[in-house]
Amino acid sequence: MAIRVNPKLIDELEVYGAEDVQNCYHCGNCSAVCPFSKEPYIFPRRPMRYLQMGLEDKLKGSLEPWLCYYCGQCSEECPRGAEPGETMMSLRRWLTSKYDFTGISRAFYKSGKVELFTVIGAALLTALGFVLWAVLRGGDINSYDGPNAFLPAASIHIFDWALAGVLLALLLTNCGRMWWFTLGRDKQLRTPFWLYLKKLYLLPLHFVTQKRFATCERKRPWAVHLALVVSYLIMLVLIMFFLDLMWSGPEIDWRVHVFGYIATVGLLGTTIFALRARLKKAEPLYAHSHETDWIFLILLIFAAFTGILQHILHRVGFDAAANVTYIVHLMGVVPMLGLEVPFSKWSHLAYRPLAMYFSAIRAEAKERAEKEAVEPTLAAQPVA
Amino acid sequence: MRTGVFIVQANEEGLEGVNLHAVELYAANLPHVEKVRNLGVRPRLDPLALAEEIKASGLERVVIAGDSPGFFKPVFTRAMALAGADTDEVRLASFREHGATGMGTPRAESIVACAVYGVPFPLAARPGTTATVPGTLIIGGGVAGIQAALEIADAGKPVYLVERQPTIGGHMAMFDKTFPTLDCAACILTPKMVAVGQHEMIDLMTYSEVEDISGSPGHYKVRVRKKARHVDIEACVACNTCSEVCPRSASSEFDSGIAARKAIYIPFPQAVPNAYVLDEASCLYFESGGEKCGVCAKKCPKECIDLTEKDQIVEFEVGNVVIATGYDVYDATKIERYGYGKFPNVITALEFERITNASGPTGGKIVTKVLRHNKRKKVDEWVLDPEGPPPNRVAIIHCVGSRDAQHNPYCSRVCCMYSLKFAHLVREKLPEATCYEFYIDMRAFGKGYEEFAERIQAEGTYVVRGRTARIVEENGQMVLKGEDIVQDRMVDMPVDLVILAVGLVPARGSDRLAAMLGIARDEDGWFSELDYNSDPTDTERGGVFVAGACQAPKDIPDTVAQASAVAAGVLKSVNTGRGLDSRADLSLSEIEARARSLARV
Repeated sequence: MAIRVNPKLIDELEVYGAEDVQNCYHCGNCSAVCPFSKEPYIFPRRPMRYLQMGLEDKLKGSLEPWLCYYCGQCSEECPRGAEPGETMMSLRRWLTSKYDFTGISRAFYKSGKVELFTVIGAALLTALGFVLWAVLRGGDINSYDGPNAFLPAASIHIFDWALAGVLLALLLTNCGRMWWFTLGRDKQLRTPFWLYLKKLYLLPLHFVTQKRFATCERKRPWAVHLALVVSYLIMLVLIMFFLDLMWSGPEIDWRVHVFGYIATVGLLGTTIFALRARLKKAEPLYAHSHETDWIFLILLIFAAFTGILQHILHRVGFDAAANVTYIVHLMGVVPMLGLEVPFSKWSHLAYRPLAMYFSAIRAEAKERAEKEAVEPTLAAQPVA
Repeated sequence: MRTGVFIVQANEEGLEGVNLHAVELYAANLPHVEKVRNLGVRPRLDPLALAEEIKASGLERVVIAGDSPGFFKPVFTRAMALAGADTDEVRLASFREHGATGMGTPRAESIVACAVYGVPFPLAARPGTTATVPGTLIIGGGVAGIQAALEIADAGKPVYLVERQPTIGGHMAMFDKTFPTLDCAACILTPKMVAVGQHEMIDLMTYSEVEDISGSPGHYKVRVRKKARHVDIEACVACNTCSEVCPRSASSEFDSGIAARKAIYIPFPQAVPNAYVLDEASCLYFESGGEKCGVCAKKCPKECIDLTEKDQIVEFEVGNVVIATGYDVYDATKIERYGYGKFPNVITALEFERITNASGPTGGKIVTKVLRHNKRKKVDEWVLDPEGPPPNRVAIIHCVGSRDAQHNPYCSRVCCMYSLKFAHLVREKLPEATCYEFYIDMRAFGKGYEEFAERIQAEGTYVVRGRTARIVEENGQMVLKGEDIVQDRMVDMPVDLVILAVGLVPARGSDRLAAMLGIARDEDGWFSELDYNSDPTDTERGGVFVAGACQAPKDIPDTVAQASAVAAGVLKSVNTGRGLDSRADLSLSEIEARARSLARV
């Protein structure tokens, strides 16, 4: 098979944040200090080599970037200041844009301005749509729930499911492309169907526990990330299945709201932590911030704050204010979900667990293939 | 001639001590300069745009100024051709090459001025000559100092050789073999050392340090402190009686600390001068203020030990000074991940040299350290025992402290080759052992070096590309972790002995010496030569020369060659009675005026 080289690849990656790849002289220090780098997935040095050589297809088929959690040990010990950790992060951004067939993701990563304006546009469109719809169907601005509600829970519920359906469809297509690049396209690799079934448990396991992240020497980023994920999962379940209970008021329904409060504390706490850490560049993980990272965090914190505010306003009986705040809340949430999940930073919620899943399949398929072939040699053979 | 000055920077920080803004202003005020532009840090230049610029200003000559401007010459030459101008009129003003590092902004300005006038800098900035007295001071008695001293003394001129240690020989005396010929280092060096010791034209001052140098080129006044040796060099016959009775011991400098010596000792049997020395720091007599011990003086059959001897100050005048202070090895404890100092069997290259040396503490047997109970101190200690277990797996790690942004950015040049030599010695003495070399790039640059590297590989040493990341202990076994880049696999290997190929750093005290002589050092601390290409042995200060590794890491052949070259420079001035003055003393206006007058001719 011919290998096509893209000599501009290393320059293209610059907008994704990888600025120092050319400094690398391949001593292998980074791979050796990385707690995740195990055969057959040796990184970050190997992806950096691909990058220097412009092997775009190889990179596109790499799972390694997703196996890195950016603890930053590699960058700290790099003798050349080549920032392998940041390179892996940039590769994740680049891969996200490659998995996305619409090209929107690419546009977002290439220019923070494009993403910002799209987000603002989507927010305005959301507000306009909901207001128009509420006014046209004769909703009462002074009523939050009940038959005359400005935005009735049942309709929002339908909207939620519709949005979720679109997002899922987009995300699944991207995941399908990811599968094609990493496993499907590889003709040499024999991956029987039962192997996919055998490793299927890995998907929910990694999604819920973030178990691999905990392998890093620094535990705090993992704890923060886990708290964020769990909080979001709680919120997701509440909104997708118990929206009517959440909606009714003004008295607090403790059966659902207690979970809502826990999730809110989790969301707010982790987001503020991440924001502070990025501002202070507290850890290698937070030292380099891409524009997309900022937009993501700002949307998160915006959604959390407006959500809390509308909750309070509704409980204390300011229904009109609560309705307005809710629309503002939607102005944050809809672009956040609609744009970030399929096209930007948030898509890693699907790619990461999938990468663990795929990597386990590929590793086992390789192992089986190797067992059939000859035993490999231990190290460089002397010439003698 | 309408001239444009373009300034380029190699990095954001710029050259130390050079104010680029001042240089720009200065250049703008030079005659014929139409345009001065700072192109910034490592600019990506477009020859078409440059050609337009050249045309627009009607430039007939272009000066590229900065740190290593030669990188940009091709693009400017092309731009000049595109603009229809004379391509020969692209002039370089190289700050680094002509010593702006250390000499500051006026030097950079004078380099630019020469380029603008189209006059080579070394020509315009050639110092005058001055009367020179015949004596030569050589600082450092390693192979560089020895070679230079012999060359000058053999020509019949007086030499003062000052060495800090009690013996001359330097690092080379510690080595077992030399690469790539695998000759015995001592067999080459010892005759030279003896020749120095016996030479009537060489005044050898060991265990001495240069305290002060003053005066001007051709007439340097030198003050040397001869530390109290407490042993009469002439009378001592090296019978070892004093050492036998001495109750105190300390770690031996000559054996890189892996063996002990007494407080009164001889560094090694072939030391020159072949006399013992009393180390006050470890001596019980001096520790107790003269109340205890003193048994060596009582037992000495030649009665040549004088415990009351004091430091002596010697003053003399010389015409030339040769710096041959060599290097120290990088402190491996600074790199925690290799566990030097923590694991007993992680050793440095110099320690291995002593272990494998037939005159070393193990008699040349390669062994690993074993845990022994020290009855006197009542502690368990890791000791080298000639009968100890030989290592089965030996790993040699290259580039320790070198080529690393966090330690030394430069390549230490000799480590690849000495590491290969080690592999040969291990395989020769322990044919059963496996030996691994972990390298980044194999730098076998000299005559016969590549062949040597291939031979070592052919002998059965595993040469693995990939720097080791760390040494850890797992279940009482040292384990080496790294990546094998060629085989594309992780290395996770038990090892018995790890040799760290530590890099070279400037010798301790280089900063003081540079200040004393008023010469510059580069960013890494090595002494700066006058001109990297054409005057590699001279310095900015007239009559001060550099030889060997004190200028930059060097192997033995290069060191010897440079030392001989220095001798030629010294002899030139001594024979004619006139040597070069200091270039450092030339002022900006002098250089500029000279450049202007040369340009008119």
